This record gives sequence, C-alpha cells and structure tokens, in this order.
Amino acid sequence: MGWPARIRRIGRIAEHAPPQPLPITAAPALLRGSLQIRYVDVGSCGACELEIASAFGPIYDLQRYGISLVASPRHADALLVTGVVTRNMEAPLRHTLAAVPEPRIVIAVGDCACTGGVFTGGYGVVGPVSSVIDVDLEIPGCPPRPEQIVAALRSIVGR
Amino acid sequence: MTMIRTALRPDTDAAGSEPQASHDARQGHEARSAAAAAWGGAATSLVGLAGVVCGIVALAGRSWSLSLDGLFPMVGVQLELTPLGGLFMLLTGAVAVIVGIYSAGYTRAGHLGGFPLAVMPIFVATMLLVPAAGSVPTFLLMWELMAVSSMMLVLAGHRRAEVRSAGVYYAVLTHLGFMAILLGLLLLSAATGTTRFAEISFAIGDVGHGARTVIFVLTLLGFGSKAGLLPLHAWLPRAHAESPSPASALMSAAMVTLGVYGIVRIDLDILGPGPRWWGLVMLAVGAVSALFGVLQASVATDLKRLLAFSTTENMGLVLVALGAAALLTSSGMRDVAALALAAGLLHLLVHGSFKMLAFLAAGSVQNATGLRDLDRLGGLARRMPVTTALFGVAALGAAGLPVGAGFVSEWLLLQSLIHRPAAGDTLMALTMPLAIGVVALSVGVGVVTMVKAFGVGFLARPRTDEAAHAREAGAPMLLAMALAALVCTVLALVPAALDPALRALGRTLPVPVATLGGVVIGPAGGLGSIAPAVLAAGMASAVILAVALSRIGSRRRPPAQSAAPLWACGADGLTSRMEYTASSFAQPMQRVFRGVLRPEADLSVVRAAGSAYDVEQMAYRERPTDAVEAHLYRPVLRLVRAVAGWVRRAHTGSVQLYLVYGGVGLLIVLVLAR
Repeated sequence: MGWPARIRRIGRIAEHAPPQPLPITAAPALLRGSLQIRYVDVGSCGACELEIASAFGPIYDLQRYGISLVASPRHADALLVTGVVTRNMEAPLRHTLAAVPEPRIVIAVGDCACTGGVFTGGYGVVGPVSSVIDVDLEIPGCPPRPEQIVAALRSIVGR
Repeated sequence: MTMIRTALRPDTDAAGSEPQASHDARQGHEARSAAAAAWGGAATSLVGLAGVVCGIVALAGRSWSLSLDGLFPMVGVQLELTPLGGLFMLLTGAVAVIVGIYSAGYTRAGHLGGFPLAVMPIFVATMLLVPAAGSVPTFLLMWELMAVSSMMLVLAGHRRAEVRSAGVYYAVLTHLGFMAILLGLLLLSAATGTTRFAEISFAIGDVGHGARTVIFVLTLLGFGSKAGLLPLHAWLPRAHAESPSPASALMSAAMVTLGVYGIVRIDLDILGPGPRWWGLVMLAVGAVSALFGVLQASVATDLKRLLAFSTTENMGLVLVALGAAALLTSSGMRDVAALALAAGLLHLLVHGSFKMLAFLAAGSVQNATGLRDLDRLGGLARRMPVTTALFGVAALGAAGLPVGAGFVSEWLLLQSLIHRPAAGDTLMALTMPLAIGVVALSVGVGVVTMVKAFGVGFLARPRTDEAAHAREAGAPMLLAMALAALVCTVLALVPAALDPALRALGRTLPVPVATLGGVVIGPAGGLGSIAPAVLAAGMASAVILAVALSRIGSRRRPPAQSAAPLWACGADGLTSRMEYTASSFAQPMQRVFRGVLRPEADLSVVRAAGSAYDVEQMAYRERPTDAVEAHLYRPVLRLVRAVAGWVRRAHTGSVQLYLVYGGVGLLIVLVLAR
C-alpha cells in the first residue's frame, strides 16, 4: 500500500481547532502571528516533554498556529523551560536566556518549573525557574495536558 | 650511512658560572650566525639570479654551448642552452632568488645551521645545470650531484629519528630512480652512438621500436620518481616534511619539476611523441598519482606532509596534460594538443610559485611555533596576519579556484580534455571522459584539503600555548613570501606573460605548444574561453558593491542594544576543544575513501593501578597508511630479504670455507677460460 492510499484510509487525525483563547498582555508587540520557541530542560522527569511533543504532534498540531521549535536560541522569540532548576543547569539557563534576542518571552511548563513541586528544598536543586530568571507565563500541571499548552501558546501568538 | 655533524656549537653549559661572558658569547654567536645566514642567502639568491638570466637568454633563442673536456675525465662536461631547458632554469632560478632572501631571515631564528646554508647554493647550481646539460654524462653527473646535495639538506636535522628515516627513504628511492634513468640514457646513447643530446636528436630515427620502448619505460619510471609520481613516490612526503622549510620549498617548487623536465626532454622531445600507448601510460600514471596524492593530502594532519602530497597531485596533473598532449597529437588534433601542453607547462610554473609560497609560510609557522601538526595549531590569523594572508594566497592557488594561481591551467587542461575527436575513436572516447573525471575529482578534493589547511591551521582559536604565543616572521621572510605571492598573482591574472617562452618552446618541440595570448584564453573557436583578469575584476567589484550596499542598508537599522556573549551551547564560553580539528574535518573523506586510504587504527587503554575495570586514560588514533607502500614495497622488500637470507646461509663465518669458495671459483674460471 502506497502512502496516498494510506492517507486516504486514515483520513484527518488532527483535531479541529478549539476557539481562540484571549490574548495575554505578555506577548511582545513585535509578534505577528508566529512564535519561534527554543525549549530548555533544566531538570525535568520527562513527562512535560512528552506532553510538549504531543502538542506538536499530528493531533494537536501546534504548527498550524504559526508556532514552531527551533534549534538555536539565536533564532527564538521564546524560551520554553521544563523541570525544576538543578544546580548544574542554572548557568546554562542564564546563558541560553542571554542568547535569545529581545524582545523575548519565558514560559515555564509544569509544576516543577512553576513552583519546584516535590523537589523544593532538595540538595541538588536551586528552585523554580522564576528564582533564576524572570518568567512571563506559567503553565501549571504535573504534567500539563497538551490542550493547556496549546491554549497558552495560542494566547501569546494571537491565532 | 655517515652522519654530518656541525662543528660549531655554542657553549651553553657555561651559562651558570659566567652569565655575563656567556651572554656575550651567545650574542657573538647570534651575530655570527646572522652574518652566515645573510651570506648563505645572498649566495643562493645570486646563483638563482644567474639562473634567471640564463633562462631568459635561452628562451630568447640565443643558443650557446660550452664544452669543458678537461673538467671531468674521459667524458668532459658539455653545457648547452635550449629553450626548454631555459624555461626550467627560469623557474628554478626564480625560486632560488626568493628562497635565498627567505633563508637569510629564517636562519636568524637558529633553525638552519651553517652546513645547510653552505649546501643550498650548490644545490641550486646543480639544479640549474641539469637543464643546461648538453650530453648524457653531464646530465647524469648533475642529476646525481643534485640528488646528493638535496640529500644533505634533508638530513640537516639528522638528530631526530624521523629525519634519518626520511633520508634513507630518499636515498633508496632516488637511487632506484637514478638506476632507471642511467640504464635508459645509456641505452639511448648506445643505440644512437653519441652522447650529445643535439646529435642524439638527429640519430634517433635509426633506433628500433623495441629499444625506444625500453628507454621510454625506464626514463618515465626514473624521472617519475624524482617528480613524486607513483609508484616511486614514498620519499616525497617524508623528505619534504622533515627537511628545513627553505629546502622543502626548493625541492618541491624546483627539483621535483626537473623530473618533468626529463620526461619532456627525453620522452616527448628526443624520442618524439611515440606510439599512442605511451601517451596513455603517461595519462594513467598522472591520473593515478593525482588522485592518490590529493586523497592522502586531504587526510594529512601535518601541514608540510599535506603540502608534499599536494605536490604529487600537481605533478600528476602535469603528467595528465603531457599524456593528453601526446595522445591528441597522435590523433591529429594538434590545436587541442597544443593547448594541453601549454596547460601542463603553465601548471608546472604556477605550482612552483604557489607551492614555494605555501612551504615558506609553513616554515614561518614552524619558526614561530615549532609545530607542523594542524591539530595543535589554529588562531594564527591574529598573531601572524601577514603570514596568514600569504598562505591564503597559496592555498587559493593550490585549490584551483578562480583568482587563484592554479585556476587557469586547470581550466585549460579540462578544456583540452573536453575537446576530443568527435567520433570514431574508441580509445579517446573512453580515455578522455575518465581523465576529465580524475582532474575534476582531484581539484574538488584539493579544495577540501586547502580549506582544511587554512581553516584549521590559521583561523579560529589557538589549540596550544605555542600557537597562542606565535610571533610574526621577520622582514626578510615576509619580503620573500610577498615576492612569491606577487609571482602567484601575476601568473593568475596575466598568464599571457608566459607567451614569449611558450612561443620559443613551440619552435623547438615536436609537439605543438599553444600560446595564451591576450585577455581571453581558451581553445580556438572561443568555446570554453576565460578571461582571468576580467573575472578577477568582476569578482572584486562584486565584493565592493556588496559591502557598499550593506553599509548603506545598515544605516537605517537601530544599533545593537547589548553585546551578548557568544553562544556556546549553554556552556560558559567557547574553547578550542569545540573546534573542528584537521582529523575531524577529514573524517568524512577518510570514511568515504576507506578502501583506498586503508587507515590504521589503534586504541590504547591505560588502566588504573590495581583494577581491571577502572580506566585512567584512553587514546584512539587513526592514521592513513600508504597502500602502495604496503602492497608494493613490502612484498618486494620481503622477497629481497628472503633471497638475502638464502644467500647468507653460505656465509658461515668460517675462514676455511671461504678459502674453499675461492679455490672452487678459481678452478671454474680456469676451466672456463681454458
């Protein structure tokens, strides 16, 4: 079976776009319908990554709203940070933020990134992301559902 | 082999007890060696200048000959100026003038002793006399003197084992080549009944086909070994890498081309273009050498070894041009053959200029850092800007890209290969496309090689302290390199400057030689022609236009808000360990051409004391080996050793037995001579 036949058999699997969420004020004025994201894992267990991957996957399809992941912070408008900030990742997180051109947004994904979660006070842990760099938007949950991630990012990009 | 020891050495042991006296002594020694360097360099340059004058006189068509019968017993010494010899004298002389200036400064750093300085003018003189030789004995004498004097230069640093090994390789291979040349030329003079080249040319018509073929094969093998062509090439990367850089420049730019002189003189000029398969053999040897040389160069990490393999590549390309010229002449395409030969000769001169510059720049790097290993260099562009720029000129020339010195000759070579007979000639229809492929591939890999040499060696950050504290070369060295770069640029932009020389050659050689005339160069009919000077002007104005436009465009852009640190993938900063090394840059080439290069890998593991599992240090090295050496030299050496062992069984050391041998031998002689 060739790929055209397979496409015909499976049909459309992407969900229909939910109604557009309200735009938030943290969005920089220069964003015009697209958002390039550099993702940083500073100490995550991997659950948030699975949900982010799912949000960019075929069902939720974040790219149709003009949002994409990029390979270098130099190309990015926003940092997507997961996990509680461990000691080893504190300096790389600062370096990465410094490498993102302004204006920029920092988004913390998951309870660990927002509050430190169960790891608060651990000996290898610095704290939540907001204790190291300024955070513009928090997406809570352990892990947050893909719908939440999609809604939050759409509220930035305004589509 | 006897080693040469320098007699004069500064007494450094006295430094502790008498600091002031020792300081004075050292200063005195430095002044003396500086004066020696100036004298040695001046002598080399003067001999070279004489060569340039003789070359120009010879190319102007003045024939001149000199016979000194008393100088050498029985055969005497005959000298004769010919236009072909004049071209090579001009090349050798020009190289010697520049290298002489360079070595006056090079010695000041204490790298070149008094002995190599004294030998260098002699070496240059013998190189100038080889193309001026008018008879077979004189030619052989000068050839051997040239080999011996260059051998002394190779052994200048004989205290290191690598240098001694390089010297042995050079001695053995150059003498194997000499034996082939000796046999070939003796056969030639025996068959024609005279030793003078001028008379041999007249009498060659009576020589049978079989003798001609044997002479051709022997001389091609012998001269090929001097030109660094396969299969007798193994001395070249070793000797070029280990000898002092001025000597490397002389050998690579001048001595190696004399091998090509021999091939042109004996195999094209005297024996005539010959049957078609001669051309085919030359083409094949050239093609294999070009590919082998460039592949080895692309994976080499030693800067001078890389340049040496590039010499093999370029001599291979020249031989491809010579072979194509012979083939095309025999097919009746004299116009295209003339273009091929002109391309070959132009490439010879151009190679001399850029390779001399590259070796001199490598020498100034070695002078400043003591390093030749590209994996330990880097970051020289900031510390040695002039040397870097000049090496860039040489690398551009070696890469064969437009505006570089090698571009025009390689382009013309390709054009002459493309314009083959249209139909009905199966041999040409098969050979020429393959030759085009070989030339294109070797030029392409050559670009990779030179990008590696320049990018890894000179750009980015220094990898070692030596490279970080390099100091720019002194004025004489920079002046010499600038002169070499000037020659490169003139040959790259106005190759038509060589037209008088090519016209003079066309009058004397049996194979036609094209002239490069005017601004536009190319085959007759205009198809595939180029105008290097216009091309260069166009590229320069395009760059200027682009810079000007971006300046104008950037006026409206707001200034940068803050200077962000360089992105180092989240780490604290960039280090030299993040850079490409020469090995890692060449790794894809090494993988693709694994079957040809046959890299040798070894892994050494140092285990922690008292533990079978704790590893303290691991080192992995992979270095390319020479497939020709492994599969051609070693079996022959094994055979020789086996035969020698077999012969040695008769030599037990017993005097009585030897006496019996002598008695039996005498008996046999008596019986036979009865």
